[in-house]
Amino acid sequence: METKFSVKDLDLFYGAFQALHHINIEIPGKQVTAFIGPSGCGKSTFLRTLNRMNDLIDTVKITGYVSLDGEDIYSGVDVMKLRTRVGMVFQKPNPFPMSIYDNVAYGPRCQGIKDKKSLDAIVEKSLRGAALWDEAKDRLNKSALGLSGGQQQRLCIARAIAMEPEVILMDEPTSALDPIATQKVEELIESLKKDYTIVIVTHSMQQAARISDKTAFFLMGELIEFGDTNQIFTKPHDKRTEDYITGRFG
Amino acid sequence: MNSRKIKDGIINIFIWAAAAFSVGILIAIVYFIFSNGLPLISSRFITAQYNASTNIIHMTSEQTFLQPSGQDIFSENLGIGLEQDDDGFWVNYVDTNSPGRRAINNADEIVPVEVGQLLQAVTGADGQLRVDANTSPEDVVAALNSSPDITLRLNEQGGGVWPLIVTTLLLILTTLLVAAPIGILAAIYMVEYAKPGKVVNTIRFATEILAGIPSIVYGLFGFLVFVNTLHIGQSILAGALTLMILLLPTMIRTTEEALKTVPMSYREASYGLGANKIQTISKVVLPSAIPGITVGVILAIGRIVGESAALLMTLGTFARLPVNMSTGNLSLREAGTTLTVRAYVEVNESGNVEMAAAIGIVILVIVFALNIISKLISRKFSKANY
Repeated sequence: METKFSVKDLDLFYGAFQALHHINIEIPGKQVTAFIGPSGCGKSTFLRTLNRMNDLIDTVKITGYVSLDGEDIYSGVDVMKLRTRVGMVFQKPNPFPMSIYDNVAYGPRCQGIKDKKSLDAIVEKSLRGAALWDEAKDRLNKSALGLSGGQQQRLCIARAIAMEPEVILMDEPTSALDPIATQKVEELIESLKKDYTIVIVTHSMQQAARISDKTAFFLMGELIEFGDTNQIFTKPHDKRTEDYITGRFG
Repeated sequence: MNSRKIKDGIINIFIWAAAAFSVGILIAIVYFIFSNGLPLISSRFITAQYNASTNIIHMTSEQTFLQPSGQDIFSENLGIGLEQDDDGFWVNYVDTNSPGRRAINNADEIVPVEVGQLLQAVTGADGQLRVDANTSPEDVVAALNSSPDITLRLNEQGGGVWPLIVTTLLLILTTLLVAAPIGILAAIYMVEYAKPGKVVNTIRFATEILAGIPSIVYGLFGFLVFVNTLHIGQSILAGALTLMILLLPTMIRTTEEALKTVPMSYREASYGLGANKIQTISKVVLPSAIPGITVGVILAIGRIVGESAALLMTLGTFARLPVNMSTGNLSLREAGTTLTVRAYVEVNESGNVEMAAAIGIVILVIVFALNIISKLISRKFSKANY
């Protein structure tokens, strides 16, 4: 299995507070990797170091080494370019206040694609990829805010895959959705993993168990255990992992 | 239980009384302005010049003009039509190519013939013909056609506010064109670029102080800097620059608030899709902030229309069209005065409350119309209620 992200000795500080301690992890390509752990354990923060979204916060300082396909993403890499390769879906569906079409076309347009035909093709392909085409094809020019929460989240996924990224980071993508919408998004993730590397942060251990191939358990800013999902949930090596997945805390 | 009911009752009475009082005051003001000013309002009040004047002007005909249908008294020589009533002969038609539009006075300034002027004398090949209500139309037309070189004496009736309306609108436009881009860009810097800290807090404190300075101080500053030091002279430009400084603090403040209401998640989504800062601001943040920015612009328009102290010395108090006398075109380098300044001067110098109230009505209508226009424009560009 090829390694997509390779992280060595990563420390992250919010001002004086150290949020991540010596993270070492190798995230494989074309698989679903889940990050689990209690609130405030640093799993979202770590997810955001993978496409440098933490750069938006002034007080963040990062040391260590993060590479994508062997290339250090914290030195000499164009951040905008990196984010086209590593897309992101957020906790709350956050479509732009524009039409469905413009939402999906936003990323390609920012990269300078203006041709109507190519944009049409990208929009259709992305919406099909996010299993939203049938629901949205008759209202492409209507506001994206008129969609239901689950549809909005799938639109955000469509928006991300319109950039044809290699990796999609998902930060608790179903925490704001009802069970039926959650199921649809999970099915979507399942179908996306043949083309994309997916890294997902989730609060729900059941979700991690259902959809992921690898699972990483974070606690207090440390990576406690990382391995095959099956192994983590059945034979955890670390006592703390076992305590967490058996519900003794968290 | 009972004492609480009484307390509630008393508080309710105060709340209702305060609301009724403010609405009552508003109605009283509108009633006062309309009852005093309405008798003066007519189409002539809107379109006529402010001051009466008599001009002696020369023109040279280079072609003949076709008589428009329905125009009984018409000079083919000059392309000028007249109508007769008990006061005499009034200009009611000027052909677009008429030499009257390029007529000059004895000082070589362009003073065009305009509809609504009263013809008092014609000098052509046969000497001067004095024109009054008893002159026959045939004689007038004959005199107008008697020679290619014609001199007219025209009386311009005053009593209208057209120059004030033109000056006010020009001033609003110029001020917004200068103040809005600077204010919006400065606010973008404060919200999107500047790191929160001492510098931003100092700038914010300074703008708040500036917002509290009385406008006469801005007027003095504008007079000393723009009018005198920079030699712009009393003009629309000097007035607009002074108002720009006066408006910037509120403009920046309202735009900042509008930008801050744009959810952080929009910015994150945009950056997450590989957009850069400029793309994020121009495609996502600004369109979402437009309603708030519009409120700032509407407030600014209200301030410009309502301002008098800052304009007394920078724009002037002379009610005239801001027209360059040697070209005949509207110019930002010319002095004039706004409706509000004139209303103040009118009451102050001649005690003419009716005139001031009539100007007040025009101001109300203009502010109302501009508010609606800016709302419509903002709806066109806004993404916030998409």
